[in-house]
Formats: sequence, C-alpha cells, structure tokens
Amino acid sequence: MLYDRIFAGALLVLSGLIAWTAFHFDVPFQYEPLGPKAFPIILSIMLAACCIWLIAKPDKNAWHPNKEVLTKIIIGLVIMVVYAALFEEAGFIIATTIVGAIFSWLFGEKPLKAFLYALALSVISYFLLADLMELNVPTGLLLGDL
Amino acid sequence: MDILHYLSIGFSVALTPLNLGLVLAGCFIGTLIGSLPGIGPINGVAILLPLAYSVGLPPESALILLAGVYYGAEYGGRISSILLNVPGDAGAIMTTLDGYPMAKRGEAGRALALSAVSSFFGSIGALLLMVIFAPLLSKLAIQFGPSEYVWLMIFAFTCLATMVGKRPIKTVVGVVIGLLFATVGIDSGTGILRFTMDIPNLFDGVDFLVVVIGMFAISEVLVLLESWARNDLKLTPVGKSFVSFADLMAVKWVVLRSTLSGFLIGVLPGTGASIASAVAYGTEKRFAEGHDDKFGEGDIRGLAAPEAANNAAAAGSMLPMLTLGIPGSGTTAILLGALLMFNVTPGPLLFEQQPNIAWGLIASMFVGNIALLVLNLPMIGVFVRLLSIKQSYLVPVIVMLTFVGIYSIHGDSFDLFFMIVLGIFAFILRKLGFSLAPVILGLVLGEVLEENLRRALSISGGDWSILLNGTMTYVLAFATAAALFAPKLLKILKK
Repeated sequence: MLYDRIFAGALLVLSGLIAWTAFHFDVPFQYEPLGPKAFPIILSIMLAACCIWLIAKPDKNAWHPNKEVLTKIIIGLVIMVVYAALFEEAGFIIATTIVGAIFSWLFGEKPLKAFLYALALSVISYFLLADLMELNVPTGLLLGDL
Repeated sequence: MDILHYLSIGFSVALTPLNLGLVLAGCFIGTLIGSLPGIGPINGVAILLPLAYSVGLPPESALILLAGVYYGAEYGGRISSILLNVPGDAGAIMTTLDGYPMAKRGEAGRALALSAVSSFFGSIGALLLMVIFAPLLSKLAIQFGPSEYVWLMIFAFTCLATMVGKRPIKTVVGVVIGLLFATVGIDSGTGILRFTMDIPNLFDGVDFLVVVIGMFAISEVLVLLESWARNDLKLTPVGKSFVSFADLMAVKWVVLRSTLSGFLIGVLPGTGASIASAVAYGTEKRFAEGHDDKFGEGDIRGLAAPEAANNAAAAGSMLPMLTLGIPGSGTTAILLGALLMFNVTPGPLLFEQQPNIAWGLIASMFVGNIALLVLNLPMIGVFVRLLSIKQSYLVPVIVMLTFVGIYSIHGDSFDLFFMIVLGIFAFILRKLGFSLAPVILGLVLGEVLEENLRRALSISGGDWSILLNGTMTYVLAFATAAALFAPKLLKILKK
C-alpha cells in the first residue's frame, strides 16, 4: 500500500468533514454576499480534488524506516509528551533534567554524563530564563518559594 | 531626498544600544544556527520568536533580532558546506560543490574568506536594490484594492507550487492545509465560531507560534532522531584565512550577476535562497562554458556565485514581505507572522506610517552585514570550533527552548500538547515529500486572503467578475498564468 494513497484518503475524508461542517455553520446574520461558509467550502473542494489526483497518481514510498529508527522516534515522542505533562506540574528544573538527560542519551551520550549535563543545563537555564529574561517558567515542586 | 531622510530615521532606530545589541546577537546566533547542520534559519527564527515576544521587545527590535538570525544563517550555512561537505542549511547546498574540494586541497581558509566576502557583497547589493525599490513598490501597492490582493496571493501560491518541490500538487495540498488552519476560530465578519471543536483554546484561532514551532522545531527533532548516526565528522583544518585582491577581481562579475538574479528570485514570492543559489550556480557554469572544467573541483567562481545569490535572495525576500505583506520565503512568512503578532500590518502603508519599523529593519541589515563580515572573517575560528558541538548537547537545548517558548505565551500546557501533535503531523508530511513552507505561507496569508475575497465581493454585490477588473488585475492574472505554464514551456523548448 502506498503511503501517499493512505494519507490522501485520510485528507479526502477530512475535506468532506470540513465541507459538511462549514455548510452547517449557523450564521444568524450576515452583511456581505460571501459570508463565513464559502471560503472553507472552496478550500475543501480544492483539497478533495488534490487528494483524488494524489490517489490516482501517488509517489512511490520513499521512506523505509527500520525497527530501530521507529523505536527511537517513538521514544522521542513519548518523552516529549512526558515533558509536556511534567512541565507545569513538576516544574521546569525537574522536567528538563529528566527529559534533557534522555534526549542526550538518545543522541549517544553515556547515561551519567547525560544526566549531569541535563542537570546543569536546566539549573542554569532556569535562572537565565526566569530571572534574567523574566519569562513565565513554572517552578513546580522545587524552589516553590523562590 | 526622501530615501536619505527615511534612511536616517532607520539608522537612528538601528543604532540605539538595545537594537545594536540585538542585531549583533541575531547575527551571531544566525551564523551559528546556519553553520550547524540540521537546524536552518527557519528553525532558528521559529524558536526565538516566542522568546522575543514573551520578553516584551518592541516590534522593531524583535524584527531586527529575528531578521539578523535569518540573514546571519545564510552566512553560516557555508561553513559546514566547505569544511564538512554537509550543507548547514538549504541555501548552502550548492556551496558544497566547489567549497569542499577547495578545503580538501588545503584551501579552506581561502574558501571561507572569499565566500564571506561574496556573501557580504550579495547582501549589500540586494539591500541597495531594496532601498531603491521598496518606496516604488509601496507607491504602486498603495493603489491595490481587494481584487489585486487576491490575485497577488494566488500568484504567490502559484509560484510556490510550480517552483518548489518535485510535485506541485503536494505544494497545493500544503497551501490549502495552511489556509484551512487559518480559518479556525472566530470569524471576524460575523462572530461565529468555525472549526473550534468546542475547545476554548482554539476560539482565538490556531496560535501561529504553536503551529510554527510544532511543525518546524518538533518535527526537526524527530528527523534528527531518525538521521542521527554515531559518526565523528572530520573537520578539515582551516589554515590561513585571507582574501586576495586577485581572487576578488576574478569573481567580481560573477558576484554582480549572482546578486541581481538572487535578488530577483528572492523577491518572487515563494522562492528563496535555495533556488537562488542553484540558479546562480547554473548560470555561472554556462557563462564559463569552455573554461568550466574546474567547476565542481574547487573553482572560486562556483563558490562565489551561490553565496552571493543566497544572501541576495534573503534580503530580496524581505521586500515583498514589507511592502505588500506577501512573504517571499518560508522564513519571511514567519517574520510576517511575527509582525502580525505585534499588531503591525506590513503593507504599503508601513513605510509611511511606521518608518521606524520598515526603515529601522533595513538600516539594521546594513549594520548586521558589516558585523557579519567581522564575525566571518577574523572570528571564523570561533564558529569552526562551535561546529564540533555534539548533537547530544544541542538537542536537549532545542527541545527545552521550544517548550519554554510556547509555554511562556499563555502559560497553558494545552499548547505544549497541541505543538507535539502538529509536530507529528509535520513529520508525516515531510516523510511523504510535502514541504512545510507552503503550509506556513497558507497560514499567514489565509486570513488576509479570505478578508480580501469577501471585501471584493461585497463591493461588487456578489459578482465574481470584480476579480478581473482593471489593468493591475489583468497583469497579475497574466503573471499567474505565466508562472503556471512557464516550467512546462521551458521543458518543451529544451527539447
């Protein structure tokens, strides 16, 4: 099965959904001839036409990931999701140390060195970002009173 | 002289201590980002944008910083092209062809120096052209009505589709996806909610920054994860770095031609530095016919041409962005989005009503290019050393900055998850051979396109013929048709 066909098929379904949703917008009043429905409907028709073309004439699959690569990408994704979940709750320093260490390790660093690097990175960055640049960086569990 | 008057306003903005510091920082970061393979200018600008926004920089200062990163990266891209045979960014691909052979011959210093000077002249040449043409173009554009803007955008998308990537149809899909993203949120005309799926975070529309960072930075991390392999790249020793007068004289016409063509290609919407450098290299090879046996083996003409062209294109792509509000490349699309975030609407009025922004940026680019010449000639050693930063140190920093940047906008974890989802989507797009620049162009132009289309049709009372009404609309429609069929005609002519 060609990836292009799967993807274009999914987009085709999506374009149908978009057109259907747009068609059923509840517009109580409108001062201009075109209104809020027309533009999305035109776009969904264009998208659908392109998708049908792509289904008819797909490219060959150019992506051949092996198991190792796929595992790495999935690990990367999972730790980014973990980062997003921890960011506010656990705070910047803890979250960045954990996630930074795993990323550093994924790119070939030895575990201990990766951990130390991520720890230093997160502590230094915290003070740079929060104090010097006065950004909204969550403190979380550690340093709650600072 | 109006131009001199405005330029003096520009320099008074660009030379304040804050802006001077920012232009230097931007150029330094840009050169660094450009030289590191993997992260290109688009990612650099994307990652820095939310930080610049949250820190509360005034719009002209933010733009000066981000633009510095953009053109700085066009300088930096050549460093790894020459030393490692790995282009630092897309605009530097052609630089590997003659730059790396020179380095292998032990002339890395000569190659780095000559390409820095070519980059400098390319940039300055394009900037001078911009100073001349920006007021003219904005005078023309001030007469544009909604129909003209609709055509202008269709023209931009057509150029993008026919000139970028192998499959035009995939570019069109990308543009339409971007345009659809732009329709999410409250409709400004009627106040109804569109495609928000009852998620309150989407009522204001899809946040531009979340889309840009998700699609570029997050997907880039995934690509890096995929392509990373444990290999220690061997740096070629730089040797003595010098520019000889004889070298400069040998390439002066090459640089001039490449600057002109690079500028023009940069101005064309949708086509940026990578196409400009390829065209310049091809042209010079043809010009040298008969004496071109050295091309590809370390000919200085083949080194100077793409470097002058990609820098000229970077400056050139700012022209339509500032005067028309139509970005000339993916990175300028992000700069345009940045301006819109600061409630500054680029367009013909920008030059008259907010000269501190438009002319401040232009003046800062003169300053920045001089700074870049200094960074890239006597201080080149610093960047060469930074080139050996390991990915294991770099990637955690990228991931951290993207998360901090996005979180600092609204302080809401929803944006972080949404960013990751968009990153996965963009990764799939990239793997299937779609490029991401069209999506971003669609996203920034979507609202303007719809607004102008609706305005045009309310003027005409729903009559679509208003789109072909007046000389300028004919010209733009013809240009669109030309952009659509030119590649096919060229193919037939070649046979």
